[in-house]
Amino acid sequence: MKTFLGLILTVLAAFTLMAQDANTLLKEVDDNLMPDSYEAYRKLVNEEPDGSKKEFTFYTVKKGKDKIAMLYLLPASEKGRSTLRLGDNMWLFIPSANKPIRITSLQSVVGGVFNNADLMQLEYSVEYDAVFAEGTATEYVLDLKAKSRGVAYERLKMWITKGKKVLRKVEAYSASNMLIKTLEFKDDKNYGGGLNRPSVIETTSPLYKGYRSFMIYQSIKKRQFPDEVFTLTYMNRLGELR
Amino acid sequence: MTSVRVHTHPAVSILLAWMVLIPGGIAFAQEEDAGTYGEREKKLEWSGNLDAKYALFHLDMRSPFLALQFPGARPSSSYLSQYRLEPYLNAAYRSGDVGFVLKTHATYYSDSDTRVDLFEAYGTYSPSFNTTMQAGKRVYSWGKGYAFNPVGFVNSVKDPENPELAQAGLLSANVEYLKSFQSTALQSIAITAVLIPPAMLPNSRYGEMEGVGLALKAYALLWDTDIEVMTLQSEDKPRSYGLDFARNLQENVEVHGEFSYAQGVQRFSVRDGMLTRGDRDASTYLVGLRFLSASNTTIIAEYFHNDVGLNKGEYEEYSAFVLNGTTSPIAAVLQQTLATQQKYFKGSTLMQEYLYLKVIQPEPFDWLYFTPSVFMIYNLEDKSALLSASLSCKPSTNVEFLLWPTVLVGSPMTEYGGKQLQERVEFWLRVYY
Repeated sequence: MKTFLGLILTVLAAFTLMAQDANTLLKEVDDNLMPDSYEAYRKLVNEEPDGSKKEFTFYTVKKGKDKIAMLYLLPASEKGRSTLRLGDNMWLFIPSANKPIRITSLQSVVGGVFNNADLMQLEYSVEYDAVFAEGTATEYVLDLKAKSRGVAYERLKMWITKGKKVLRKVEAYSASNMLIKTLEFKDDKNYGGGLNRPSVIETTSPLYKGYRSFMIYQSIKKRQFPDEVFTLTYMNRLGELR
Repeated sequence: MTSVRVHTHPAVSILLAWMVLIPGGIAFAQEEDAGTYGEREKKLEWSGNLDAKYALFHLDMRSPFLALQFPGARPSSSYLSQYRLEPYLNAAYRSGDVGFVLKTHATYYSDSDTRVDLFEAYGTYSPSFNTTMQAGKRVYSWGKGYAFNPVGFVNSVKDPENPELAQAGLLSANVEYLKSFQSTALQSIAITAVLIPPAMLPNSRYGEMEGVGLALKAYALLWDTDIEVMTLQSEDKPRSYGLDFARNLQENVEVHGEFSYAQGVQRFSVRDGMLTRGDRDASTYLVGLRFLSASNTTIIAEYFHNDVGLNKGEYEEYSAFVLNGTTSPIAAVLQQTLATQQKYFKGSTLMQEYLYLKVIQPEPFDWLYFTPSVFMIYNLEDKSALLSASLSCKPSTNVEFLLWPTVLVGSPMTEYGGKQLQERVEFWLRVYY
């Protein structure tokens, strides 16, 4: 009996250690993707089956694990809009209405394949618990499970290079285990300050056949911000940071 | 020796106290931010949009309100059309801590019938991240309600049919202070003080000093809930106090509410064919929710109680008053009825109890960039309603097409059923620049 109990405890401990290792790796992936606090310029290109494109440009600022704000710079029809995320709370500011309204992370502000959660992504390790899945000779594979219901995707599957631990691919699944979208991380670029990461995230979805979205990181720079930047009152002043 | 006694309006005293207290906050913030930010560039940005709007109207030729809209001669056809242009032109300039915002709007019907509005024109000075001062004409949007804002003491009059439409601002000066905290309970606060000039004396460009108004608002993000308390203190308007909140109950359910209490509100009704004024204290409130379904459908529902609105009997009496005025053979009676309606009974929610419901389904059937929505303003007292749909399509960058049919339903003596308009279809082409 003692031997049996010992075996169970050993197996449980091994699983716990593996989970810890997987979460440590996930944290490393986050650290390799973005500084803790930064400002970034991003371009989102939605490409349609007929080849036509719609482009959006955003200015994004982030601080710590749960504060991110984003200002729409282009196109003119969206210019001046801003979104703010504080943990699970999210607001949208529309210039014509001139006030922030609470929205959910699952809604899409720009249309197309991306939703707010994609654009206002916090660190993966903040939102998900990871365990190792069967990897390849060159890549680790992680299975990620959402820590709370407020997350857009219940489950993620993630491919990470073994050498530099760079994220290469993410598959996002619904609660019913249906593949919602695939994100491929490509074209590594040196952004300075020791940050070398994929500059393009190409997204496809079986729900939108023939459509592709590209998130292109034009610049990423470490920068510290006061907490006041991440408040409702500051949403219409985000442009002052540029 | 003669002594001069100076009477200070309480609003001014509070603002002076505020101005004395603020510099401490400014100094603190400047110290905190020093060295963090580099030199910011001067920027002047232009933006705006041109709306070309074509509308078809189906009139109710029996409606007494038709005679008020066309006091000269009623149209012979019950179908009318209108074509108008509405250019919006905005400029924003910023250099360091100083900025300037200009928002203009024009409505063009013909060369001889064009109106230009200055929506906003204000200067802004931000000595720190915590503090901003603004002076000029500015839009305020107090309250958490989508279609109605009982606590919008300094807001422009909102059109519940299109709550996101840009509006003209208020001539004022304001100071705003915000502060964040490293706490899971109280995460941030913001305090806003708005100084409002008095109403001008008749035929003059001057207002009496005692009429200066002060509006104050305090906001807190407390336990993941937006909470605001506000007040308006003015000699020209009823003293008002308000409270609002908004919170996500679940990741896809948001609830919000507003409550306002105003003292000595002027309330007008028609009794025995005569305009009657009765002052009263009014409690106006709103509760609402926003829900997002698994299929990405957004539902906005709001219940609105307008305490100074007309009840069913009063509205019927008002309708009879308009009917008598518009059928009178004496032209002066029609003019008086029109003047009464314009001054005391203008607006799309004259009564007390309303339900607002809006359903938005972005990109149904995977049709990208197409967003249909339907909404209803339902008068709970007389059971009349305004039903409308908005079909928006953005096929290309900076272009939007909007098809917007509206139907008013209800019996002839009801608020929406009695309107001169039965049906309306608008077609908008909106180009952004």
